[in-house]
Formats: sequence, structure tokens, C-alpha cells
Amino acid sequence: MVVDGLDLDVPAGEIVGLIGANGAGKTTTVECVQGLRKPDSGQLNVLGFNPVTQAEQLRPLVGSQLQDSALPDRLRVAEALDLFSTQRARDGGELLEQFGLAKRRRSVFSSLSGGERQRLFLVLALLNRPLLVILDELTQGLDPAARRNVWAAVRQLNDEGTTVLLVTHEMDEAEALCGQVVVMRDGRVIDAGAPADLVERHASTAVIRFSMPNPPAGLMDELRQLDDVREVSRAGSLITVRGHRRIIAYVGAALVRWEPVPADLNVDVPSLEDALLGLLNGHQRDQAEPSWAASAINHELIGGPQ
Amino acid sequence: MNTAVGRLVRAELRLMTRDPLVLTFVFAFPIVTMLIIGGAFGTTPDRAFEFTNPSHWYVASYLTVVIAATGLVMLPVHLASYRERGVLRRFAAAGFPRWSFAAAQLIVGLVTTAAACVLLLAVAAPVYGIPAVHDGWRVAVALPLGAVAFISIGVLLGSLLPSARAAQAVGLLLFFPSFLLGAGGPPPHVMGSAVKQVAGPLPLTLFTNAVREPWLGLGSATGSLIAVAAMAAAASVLAARRTAL
Repeated sequence: MVVDGLDLDVPAGEIVGLIGANGAGKTTTVECVQGLRKPDSGQLNVLGFNPVTQAEQLRPLVGSQLQDSALPDRLRVAEALDLFSTQRARDGGELLEQFGLAKRRRSVFSSLSGGERQRLFLVLALLNRPLLVILDELTQGLDPAARRNVWAAVRQLNDEGTTVLLVTHEMDEAEALCGQVVVMRDGRVIDAGAPADLVERHASTAVIRFSMPNPPAGLMDELRQLDDVREVSRAGSLITVRGHRRIIAYVGAALVRWEPVPADLNVDVPSLEDALLGLLNGHQRDQAEPSWAASAINHELIGGPQ
Repeated sequence: MNTAVGRLVRAELRLMTRDPLVLTFVFAFPIVTMLIIGGAFGTTPDRAFEFTNPSHWYVASYLTVVIAATGLVMLPVHLASYRERGVLRRFAAAGFPRWSFAAAQLIVGLVTTAAACVLLLAVAAPVYGIPAVHDGWRVAVALPLGAVAFISIGVLLGSLLPSARAAQAVGLLLFFPSFLLGAGGPPPHVMGSAVKQVAGPLPLTLFTNAVREPWLGLGSATGSLIAVAAMAAAASVLAARRTAL
């Protein structure tokens, strides 16, 4: 069993990220949502339709950018737009322009670079004004500039009211785009929430490092006494302060009071990636405890009525 | 024509014209081999060819070679490659109805074979002449039935075989013996009895008999025609079931 006891609500108009380690069941989940895979049991409701029994009504409303798929090698970019355009299609030329593919209209699929292929898949996913867009490993293989362009397009899409389900291994992408993130492990949802809330729950420790050859004793005492500071250590001239992310401001203020301010101040702010690692490690330890979702009934609703 | 089938047919027809395998096996191979073997036996009626002109015998036989090449070589490789690379998944996720891909392949296969048959006859006409059709309606029934049968077999093979390479290997293995024993090789009268027994029930042999005999006035080939009709019915039902995206 790849996915078990999954409870996933995706409110209409939001960007929801699905994250987790390899083999967590993310792609299996989206395949079920798309109707490409039939669940053994449970209820599945996408935009008010059952993806298995009502696939023909549902699929025209869903735009998909799939992991591990391709187009025929000799199909030209413009022909791909023609092939995938339904009655609901928007102007494909504008999309090609937006994603930097306008000059590749006559190029065959096999001649496109990895990044161009990804952008073409995104164009095809957006072509028919979908109500729900499923993006599986959206920016895999894209250069930084292309990633930013794609992110901007996803935000614009969401501004237009489209619901987005984003499957990603890129935590910065999930943090930048998603209002809600669902974390999966072994086919179950182990936590969900806004990225900042997940960070707060599972990776709230910030680490501040700076060099000070002869730190005043008063400074060291003050740092130790600050609220939420858990540890102050010194190795030669390098001083390390660990604690809740709130200490960043307090430590900064203390350093300003005890001039000179160190030039090499370095702050490691916990990220969604740290939260994911913390969550997965914690989940390994606490697997006996039911998570908020694993114990819930099987019920999935994506973009349905609120 | 903006239906799902229409869009698939339009795209697939364009792709066929760019596919070297199609151009080689469906268009070039039957014409080249017909010219060679038709010329090898001359034009004098011969007992081995049931007292018909040997080159006419091969002109009447080679339309089925075109159709078999489409079904046994072109389509299995094409479909297995699509499945292997995730193209079919993309079509499914994009909302193409389950039946649309099979329907599009059938239409594209029929159009491709029709075009290749016309080209073959256009090349044969000035070189060997087109033999007179003795029993037109039987030929007119046998050709589309055989085309449906072989195209469905091709779709079925493409959906069963795990990769494009496997499809190519199996397709060629099925095509060449069928071609040599049932259509483009030596006439049955010069075959040994064991070879004749193997060749007799092959689908391509039955199909070629169903076309060649009424065309050249050698018989009605009713048994072969019924067998081709049964193959068409069975293969198309199985192919339609297998190609649910």
C-alpha cells in the first residue's frame, strides 16, 4: 500500500504544497487526484467530481504538469498547443511569449532543452483555463532565472483564482509559493499548515555566530540571560548563540549596545527544509502517536465548494 | 475538427510523415520489394502462379504487405514508445477520452495504409500494369476488413509489449516470416508441404488470399474472407479494451 489513510483538503483558490521524502506517496496521491490511478478504498472528490468514475467531466477542468512524461519527439511546439487546445483554450501564443518559448514555435519537442520542455509542459497545463492545476516537480532542471519566471506565473495564476496543487522537493519553492503545505511520509499526512507555522513547530532554533577576540564579560552574561536563548558557547574568538528565532532581534540589539558590532555576524534562520527534516526525524521517533491527519477518516476534497 | 479524436488524428498524421520507420516500412519497403520480385518472375503466365502473370500476382498481393507493415511494425513501435515515455499518461491527464486514442490510431492507420496502397499502385501501373479486378466487391470488403484486423493487432501489440525495442523486435519477427510465407515471397505452389501447412493459417496469408483470389479471378476465397472478418472483430474488441488510457 503506497498511500493509506490520507486526509487532504485543498481549499479553492489556494496554492497547496505536497512535500515529503522520496517514496512518501506524493506522486501516487496526485495520480489518484487526476484519475490516472484508482484508489483501493476511500472517497475522492475533486472539483465536485469523482476522478475515476467522472474522469471525462473532470479532466478538462484540470491542468497537469506531470513528472516523467513526454510529448512525441517530432511534434512541434505550435502543434502541441493545437493538440492540447480545447474549447476553453486561451491564446497559446501569449503563453509561449510569457514563458520565453515564442521563438521555439516551430521546434520539435526532441530539440528542446530540459528547461524548455518544463516550460512547455507548464504552458500546456495552463492552456485550457483550468480550475485546478497540478504541478509535479515544477522547476526540476530549470536555471534560477527560469525558476523565478515560473514562480511568477504560478502566483499570477493563483491571483486569477486558480487552485494549485504543487508537488515538490524544493523547499524554497514551497516556502515561496504555498499558502499551505502538507507533509507526507509513508503514504500518510504527518502534518500540515502554513510554511511559517511548520517552521515554528518543527524547526524554531536559530543559530547566530560572530567573532569577537575579547568579548566583554557583560555581553556574554547579557546574551545568556536573554529570553529564549538556549545556549551560548565560545570557541576561540567564535561565539555561537542558539535559541528560538525570536533571539535574532534580541542578540542584534545587545550587540549594538556593546559596540563594536562584529563585521562577520552570521544568522542561520530555520527554513521549511529544516522543519521537514525535524518533522521527519521526530516522526520516526514518535511514530506510535497518531498524527492529526493519520487518524482522520479518508476524505479528500480539492477545490470544491467552501 | 476540434474534437479530441480530430486533434489526435491531425497530430498523428503529421507525425507519421516525419517518422523514418513509417516511411521505410510502410511506403518504401513494399514498393521496392514488389518491383524486385515482380520483375524476377517476369510477365509470362506461369503454372506456379495459377497461370496468371507473375508480376500481376505480386501487385495484387502487395497491398496486404503495406497493411501488415503498418499493423505489425509501425503501430506497435509507435504505441509502445508512447507508453514507455509517458506520452499516453500525458494524453490521459489532459482529458483525452479513453476511447479517443484507439479511435485516432485506427483512423490514422487506415489513412496511412490507403495512402501507401495508392502510391504502390501508382508505381506498379507504369511498370507492370494494374491487373483487372474480377470480383470487385469481395476485394473492396477484404481490404478494409484486413486493414482493421492488422491495425487492431498493431494497437494490441503496442499496448502489450513493454518497450519500443521489444515492440520492434516482436513486430519484425512477426512481419518477415508472414511476409515471406503469406504475401511477398514464393507462391504457395512452389512451397514444400510442411512450409505450406505453416503458411496456410497465418493471418497475412488468409488476408492476401482474400484479396488476391477475387482480384485475379482465381476463386472467391470465402473461407479466407470470413477468417479475416473474424480477426478484425476479435482484434478490434481486444485492442479497444487494452487501450483504455
